[in-house]
Amino acid sequence: MAEERRGSWFGFGFCGFGQAPGSGRGRQVLSPEPLQTPGSGADVRRVSASWSYTALVTRGGQVRLSGAAGGAAGGCRDAWASEALLVVLRAGPGRGAGPELQAWAPASAMRGEPLWARALGPEAEAEGAARGEPPAGAARGEPPAGAPPLLPLLPGARAYVSPRPPFCRALAPELRARRLELGAEHALLLDEAGQVFSWGQGRHGQLGHGSLEAEPEPRLLEALQGLPVAEVAAGGWHSVCVSETGDIYIWGWNESGQLALPSRSLAEDTKTIPREASGLNEDGSEVRRTARGEDGAPAPFIAIQPFPALLDLPLGADAVKASCGSRHTAVVTGTGELYTWGWGKYGQLGHKDTTSLDRPCRVEYFVDKQLQVRAVSCGPWNTYVYAVEKEGS
Amino acid sequence: MPGKPDYPGGGEGRRVPTKPNKWSPASGQLDTTRTRDRLVEGPMAEDTQEPLAGAGALREALRALLPPTKEELALELGENVERSVVQLLQEAAELFCGGRRSECLQASEAILDYSWERLNTGPWRDVHKDWRRVYAFGCLLKAVCLCEEPGDTTAVAAALKVCDMGLLMGAAILGDILIKVAAILQAHLRSGKRPGPGPAQEPPSMKKARYDPVSVPDMMSERTVPRLHCPSLEHFRKYFLVPGRPVILEGVADQWPCMKRWSLEYIQEIAGCRTVPVEVGSRYTDEEWSQTLMTVNEFISRHIRSEPKDVGYLAQHQLFDQIPELRQDISIPDYCCLGDGAEEEITINAWFGPQGTVSPLHQDPQQNFLVQVMGRKYIRLYSPQESEALYPHETHLLHNTSQVDVENPDLDKFPRFAEAPSLSCILSPGEILFIPLQYWHYVRALDLSFSVSFWWS
Repeated sequence: MAEERRGSWFGFGFCGFGQAPGSGRGRQVLSPEPLQTPGSGADVRRVSASWSYTALVTRGGQVRLSGAAGGAAGGCRDAWASEALLVVLRAGPGRGAGPELQAWAPASAMRGEPLWARALGPEAEAEGAARGEPPAGAARGEPPAGAPPLLPLLPGARAYVSPRPPFCRALAPELRARRLELGAEHALLLDEAGQVFSWGQGRHGQLGHGSLEAEPEPRLLEALQGLPVAEVAAGGWHSVCVSETGDIYIWGWNESGQLALPSRSLAEDTKTIPREASGLNEDGSEVRRTARGEDGAPAPFIAIQPFPALLDLPLGADAVKASCGSRHTAVVTGTGELYTWGWGKYGQLGHKDTTSLDRPCRVEYFVDKQLQVRAVSCGPWNTYVYAVEKEGS
Repeated sequence: MPGKPDYPGGGEGRRVPTKPNKWSPASGQLDTTRTRDRLVEGPMAEDTQEPLAGAGALREALRALLPPTKEELALELGENVERSVVQLLQEAAELFCGGRRSECLQASEAILDYSWERLNTGPWRDVHKDWRRVYAFGCLLKAVCLCEEPGDTTAVAAALKVCDMGLLMGAAILGDILIKVAAILQAHLRSGKRPGPGPAQEPPSMKKARYDPVSVPDMMSERTVPRLHCPSLEHFRKYFLVPGRPVILEGVADQWPCMKRWSLEYIQEIAGCRTVPVEVGSRYTDEEWSQTLMTVNEFISRHIRSEPKDVGYLAQHQLFDQIPELRQDISIPDYCCLGDGAEEEITINAWFGPQGTVSPLHQDPQQNFLVQVMGRKYIRLYSPQESEALYPHETHLLHNTSQVDVENPDLDKFPRFAEAPSLSCILSPGEILFIPLQYWHYVRALDLSFSVSFWWS
């Protein structure tokens, strides 16, 4: 296999606290900019962004903060940023000891004492290894696909971290979680068999079970049963999953077009680009809608999509990665392109303006620069992208 | 009501949404401890309504209202509001006091957007009041910054809209400053207008509200609600409040100023440019039902005067907290003193809409005086003892609402409904209907209608 070229990270969107990529220049960046980090960001293997600060995790185990929280610390395997807490996974104190989970006040710059810390025990490490997770201090490589569990899911996948108490929450043993994502008021879980579970508040349809009722415990998404899902992503009030065959399913709140469905508020905003035919499939969704027909009749607006809708990208592109901000969505295709849609007020869509969109649009920057997008990670109001140079020519 | 299921102070208030509203969450109850202050300051709002001299006067009036130093332009916030937000608030206040309006506007937008997200997280009743204060603060700064060019009426109208958003979703800050700012902005807009009702291009034939000969129910076969003329407190308490029996009170509200004063023209003059929540759709149990925001002028022109595409209803809205001038046209019925709660805890709602609005059969967790001001309403009542025969929805969201369409019941599906005893009435202007706690009620407007409800305990 050809050696992978080293890529680098780019960022765009809200940076009002001076977090990457803005470096204090202005409140927002409307088009992708390379992250200004030592070593050009090539060694950053994970980006976790909260509203007012961003945490970069390097392959060498350093966590670097920018924005309302600053500072850096070493010995970290993973980090997860939220406004209330910065959670880091650090190598354990001694050989054979498991990793330690630490929660810091973001403003502390990880100096002094953490708010709390918890040893995860060597079993967590061993379990992780048995499930194919790379051990702490993993060898260099890109942010791997089919990744080891990332925070907020804890190693061993028996529990996860929450920004609100109780901070450590157990997962039922029969849930063999591969990936866990937290929205503003819900949670999504992807298990080893490619099944999706959701729980929490449902008033915006984000649970995908067809109603607006809350679910106290993880509940299987029956609409997706039998479909092997490769990736899940949670926005503030919406949910996305990508199947192993590259299909995107999306559900939840569409108030800014984050579901790529017709949004009333966008239509009423004179700055919006009018919506064209999107090729959405009829899937018997509860909310009555029709594809835009030749008669030009507008599709009815959809505020809430309470169970999964299939979303087609333009030109039939297949999806491999997805990430969501609070009200926007970003998807990476198999051919290395990035599509974004939803709330765009702070430039988080990367289309050089602040327009919100209710249909997927390609971020042309990466095409123009001959870059192949490999990964995307959204903060609430911004977007971080990992891309490599195209081979050849 | 969408966003209002967890109505603050109302527990599981009356109407619960099937769909979250576009602009959710719903109007929160304003800080009730300040109600009395607000009423006292009512006359002040009136003072500023003399026509202002123009742009300069507006700027002066606003400047006089706002604290001059950034230390005073601050909120006392608890731990629920993160440090980063507090930092941003301080920055915005500093920019404001430093006269850096466009930067302040940017910071205010970020404050608004972030707090809006917090207001939409979790049930409304669990949203911490501090987040609503932060939102109100953002609205305040944005509104005043927008009035950079007060000569520009569009900017002032936009600023008033922002104030209304702060009043609808925020909580009282800095001595109810948003109400005062709104009053100043409104007065400025009104002084620039010629006297007369709302929107310009209106064909003369459309001026009046529509009246279709609507189906007035044949009530010959229905038992009617008893009527009393000015009963004593004790009589009312003993025979109606305690046993929980509905009654119509006559001669109690018929002399209130609203009865003579309120008309479409008057409402447009007093409240025309104010933003209010409107329910769109035949009834809140429908799929297509939703809530939206619009000005009172837009509501009247779109849903009352013209042939509307869909039914619009300004329902269950605390209009009188938002617009103190209207509050002076109504009173709190004396019988409310028979309750346990303080006067400040009484929730006063406006219900304003065209002929044909329907509230499906439902129950509320408080006592209710429904005062009819304009037009007539047909109302059907069922005792809480009949609840099983009314087939309440099973979902948590709608458990206080019946599945039965009262005037067109599906008796195959809901057989017991036919035998359930009921009371009904047509409530006319000047009359008050007492709806006891948990008493099921169904309401349809027979005419263009304005009602005021008082929820008390």
